[in-house]
Formats: sequence, C-alpha cells, structure tokens
Amino acid sequence: MHLVLLIGLVCFSVLAVFIRDLLKAAISLAVASVFLAIIFFRMNAPYVGVFEISVVAGLITVLFISTIALTRSEGGVKESRISTLIFPIFFVAFIIIDIIIMKNLLGNILALPGAPEVGGFGKILWNQRTFDLVGQIGVIFAGVFAVLALFRRRNNE
Amino acid sequence: MTFLFILVPLILASVMPLVGKFSKRFLPDFLTNATVFFLLIYAISFVPQVLCCGPDIRQMIWLGQPINIILALDGFSLFMLFTIALVSFAVTLFSIDYMEHYGAKANYYALFLLMIAGMNGLVLSTDLFSIYLFLEVAAVASYGLVAYGLGHDELEASFKYLMLSAVASSFIILSITIIFGLTGSLNLGAIGLGLQQLKIKYVLGFCIGFFILGFGLKAALVPFHAWLPDAHPSAPAPISAMLSGLLIKVSGIYAMVRIFFNVFGLNPVLSMVLMYLGIISILVGAIMALGQNDIKRMLAYSSISQVGYIILGFGLGTPLGIMGALFHILNHAIAKGLLFLNSGSIERATGTRSLDKMGGLAKRMPITAATSVIGSLSIAGVPPLNGFWSKLLIIIALVQAERYGFAIIAVLASVITLWYYLIIQRRAFFGKLNEVWVNIKEAPFWMSTATIILALLCIVIGLVFPFFIKFWLVPATDVLTSGVSYVLYFLHY
Repeated sequence: MHLVLLIGLVCFSVLAVFIRDLLKAAISLAVASVFLAIIFFRMNAPYVGVFEISVVAGLITVLFISTIALTRSEGGVKESRISTLIFPIFFVAFIIIDIIIMKNLLGNILALPGAPEVGGFGKILWNQRTFDLVGQIGVIFAGVFAVLALFRRRNNE
Repeated sequence: MTFLFILVPLILASVMPLVGKFSKRFLPDFLTNATVFFLLIYAISFVPQVLCCGPDIRQMIWLGQPINIILALDGFSLFMLFTIALVSFAVTLFSIDYMEHYGAKANYYALFLLMIAGMNGLVLSTDLFSIYLFLEVAAVASYGLVAYGLGHDELEASFKYLMLSAVASSFIILSITIIFGLTGSLNLGAIGLGLQQLKIKYVLGFCIGFFILGFGLKAALVPFHAWLPDAHPSAPAPISAMLSGLLIKVSGIYAMVRIFFNVFGLNPVLSMVLMYLGIISILVGAIMALGQNDIKRMLAYSSISQVGYIILGFGLGTPLGIMGALFHILNHAIAKGLLFLNSGSIERATGTRSLDKMGGLAKRMPITAATSVIGSLSIAGVPPLNGFWSKLLIIIALVQAERYGFAIIAVLASVITLWYYLIIQRRAFFGKLNEVWVNIKEAPFWMSTATIILALLCIVIGLVFPFFIKFWLVPATDVLTSGVSYVLYFLHY
C-alpha cells in the first residue's frame, strides 16, 4: 500500500512539472500533496497530515487557481530543449541514488529512538517547538512584507 | 536576556508598517537606527560575561514557567552578533538618505529588521531545525529586499536568487531529515552524542555532502556561486552591503562551520574538501572580478573570492587558521559593506555603475573616493589595515601546517585582488574628470557618515588588532577548537 501511495506521489509531482497548462499543473500538485498527506496519516503523523491537506492541498491550490484565473495568458514562454531533456535524466539518476542510499545505507542502520510526542497538537507546538513558533512568525511577517513591498508601485499607479 | 536579540527587531518589524502610517520618514529612520544601535551596545555588554564565565546557555521563562526556547550565547555567536549589529548600524545610517527615492521606507525597514532577527535567531539557536527556520526568515526577507527597486533586472535577479536558494534549502532540510531519522533528535548536543554512538561513516558522508551543497550555495562558494553576481549588484546598495557583508556569512558560513565543527567534528577528508573549495573560490572569484566593468558586479565577484579565504582558514582547522577566518569574516564584512555603500553613493550621483563612464570622480566626491581607497586597500590586504592582519593569520597558519601550495596561491590571489581594486580606483576616481560629471555633488550627510564610520573601523581595527584578538577572537576560536565536546558539555549530554 505504501508503495502505491509513493508511486502516486511521485507520478503526480512529475506531472505537475511537465504539464504545460498551469491550471492542470496546480491540480496535479494538489493531488500529489493529498497522497503525501495519506502517507503522513499512515505513518502516525496526523498533525503533519492535517496541515498538508489543509494548507498545501487546500489553501495553496486555491491561491494558485485564483492567481491563474486573475492573470491573462500571454502565450507560453518557450523553454529550451535542454531543460526538457535534462529533467528526465536528472529524475532517473535521482531515483537510482535515492534507492541506493535508502536501501543500502539507511536500511542497515539501527536508528536511535526519537523522543515520544506527548500531548495534543497545541501542547507539542508550545512545549516542545516553542522557538520554531517564533521563527514561523518571522517567516510569515517576512512573506507578507515582501509581498507588500513588491506590489507597492502597482498600487500607486 | 539573549532572547532580546531576536525579539526586539521582530517586534519592531511587525509594527513598522503601522509606524509608517503616522510618519513616513522620521520615525521609521529613528526607530530602526536606535534598535540596531541598541543591538550593537547589547552585544558588546556581553563580552565581560563570555570572557569570564564562558558560554551562556539559557532557557527562557514565560509567566514563571520554563518554555522550550534554549539559546546559546558563546564566543562564536557573540562575535557574529557583534558583526551583524556593527555592519547593520552603518547600513541603516546610510539608508536614511539613500532609500528616500525608493519610497515605502517603513516597509523597507520592516524587511530589514526581519533579516536581522533571522540572522540573530540562527546564530543563537541550539537546534538544527531552528537553524533552518531562521535561515529562511532571513532569506525570505532578503528576496523581497533584492527586488525592492522593482525594475526588470531586480526582479529577475531576485527570482534567480529565490530559485537557487530554494535548491539550497532543499538540500539542507534533506540532510536534517536524515540526521533526525537516525538520531531521533534535533538538538545539537543530542545529535553530537547520537552520531558518536551510531558510527555511520557513509551516511554521515552523504549528510555532509548535502550540507556542503546547501550551505555552499548560500555562501556562494564556487561552483555554487552563479546567483550571487546577479543578485548582489541588482539590490539597492545598502542591501548589497548586507548580503555580501553579512547574509552569505551567517546563513552560509556560520551555519556550516557550527554544524561541521561542533556537531559532526572536523575530520581530515572534510578539512581537505573545504580547503579545496576555498582555494577554488579564491581563484575563480578573483579572476572573474578582473574582467568586470560594472562596479557592483566586480565587488560581488570579490565577495566570492574573500569567502574562499574564510573557508580556507576554517578548512585548515588549526586554531590560528580558525582565528584568521573569523577575523576575516569581520574585516570583510566591514570593508565590503563600505565598498558597496560607496558604489551606492556613486550610482546615486551619476546614475551609472559602469566603470567606463566614470573617471575623475575624486574631484567631486572626495569623501567617497577616500573611503573607497581605504576599503579597497583593506580587502586587498595592505598593512596596517584590518584586512592585512586576517589574511596574514590565514597565510601563517597555512605555512605552519606546511600547506605551502595553498599559501602561495592565497598570496598570489591577494595580489590579483589588489590589482582589480586599483583598477576600480583608477577608472572611477582618478584621472581626468569626465565632463558629464562636472555638476555632481558629494553624497548627503548620513551616507557620508556611514562610510566614514566604516573606513575609520578599517583603520582602527588594523591598529588595535591585538585587542580584538583578545576580546573577540580568542573566545570564538575556543568554541570551535573544542569541537564536539563543546555541545556535549554545554548542552548537557
């Protein structure tokens, strides 16, 4: 079952890169993240799964689709042939290296046990990853202010 | 309370757009400069404590309850905090006049403060994931700042920077994931202990490789440097100064060195790889800089070359090499900050960055010309300026370790550096004044003040370098030379 989910994830991710139509690419990205969310759920990481579904598959897809709907299509930008040729080669090489590392190296090592996640979502975020919360606030502010800065002249005009 | 290094700029950044509604110029200028000056004084105030009692590892308290924010202020992080605050202060002073014509100053300062908060958070962090997160805070703010001019070049450079930076982040997070999977922890001390117990040579090799790729991209080491010569020249001059002077060092070199020295431990193979990356960067950066006509592009290539010196010193791994590399971080941040700010003054006065169109500017811009000469000679390593001592330390360390080949190349590259900086001076400031520039004026008050401060620092640090070595560099070097035992001891594992 895991293998099917993983293949689904990879296939839809590749589709998202290859499809020319932006709308379809955004949708295949959403489907890929649904696969990823299911994997998270099955691997006992429900909080990450919920975030993956709600934010990546939900919110970001809505943002993508509304942006695509708001912009005019001005004819596709022609990509050079090299980039379309290199991607499959790079992708296959990556899969091979990935399998070798995961199977031969990581598979044979007995990893140390991680600290158990005790308590609910809020408790983990507040008690265990408090500093990350500060960082998250920083990232969100940086993103919002960067968008404000980039769109400022357009507003003035 | 070390948390203030992150909290103060973060809170001020969050209210800055509101402040901008009430006062378009004065309050944003004043508050940002006051904050950065406070950070500078606050960093200096920790020196006696670090000198007498060693690292200050502290857990934060919220409403009487301890919360999971553990910050480590040791010699190395204090040195970086000081460098960040010092260069940022000069840059914010410069921004008072320079950013006038860009508009939306409050928004600019908000992003600027977030970048400082991100760098400070990264430096104080004791957790691998937090390091990544604060690296992203600084990076996201810098994408916005590079594109701040909104012209075609700026947007293109910012996009290229964003894409390559995303690749770097992917490699960093991939390596963090593998380490977390193996050791079950993200705390630097626990990882240090876990990796010693596990004995995983090959997997660790992959993790180190991914980190070198990721942090190497952030630090713009050759061959991962393609984004820097586009991104740094396109940004507004104060941001070029911040990126070249600080960001590549904090998010690239600091993070890489902290992890390699204090968590993984430096081994001979890693040492050799870092040294080769360093020497290639020195050579490629210097040779590429020679052929440039755009003054900021030349400075950007020079940054690649100087980062090479820093990595060469760290890669060598001897106490003297580490000390030289640390000293070069500070010296290069000051001198390159100064030169980028001066390039901003020139661009503002003449409207061009092309060296071909300049000439004789010293007659109209004496302060800019004089400070540029000081900055150039400092980076090129001319005594008694600060850059000379740090390069000398690195080269003596190389000779002591019997790496004569590396030492000779480092000296030769230094000569090339002097060569291209003299080209800048000759083509931009000396010779006959181009008639087009008869009516240009010297940079305004705050811009000149900022450059004069940095130029004076180049001279003063060069003259009192033994003082600097004693109070700033020795505690920082001790942290790195103690290797993995540092995190095991101070983070209680």
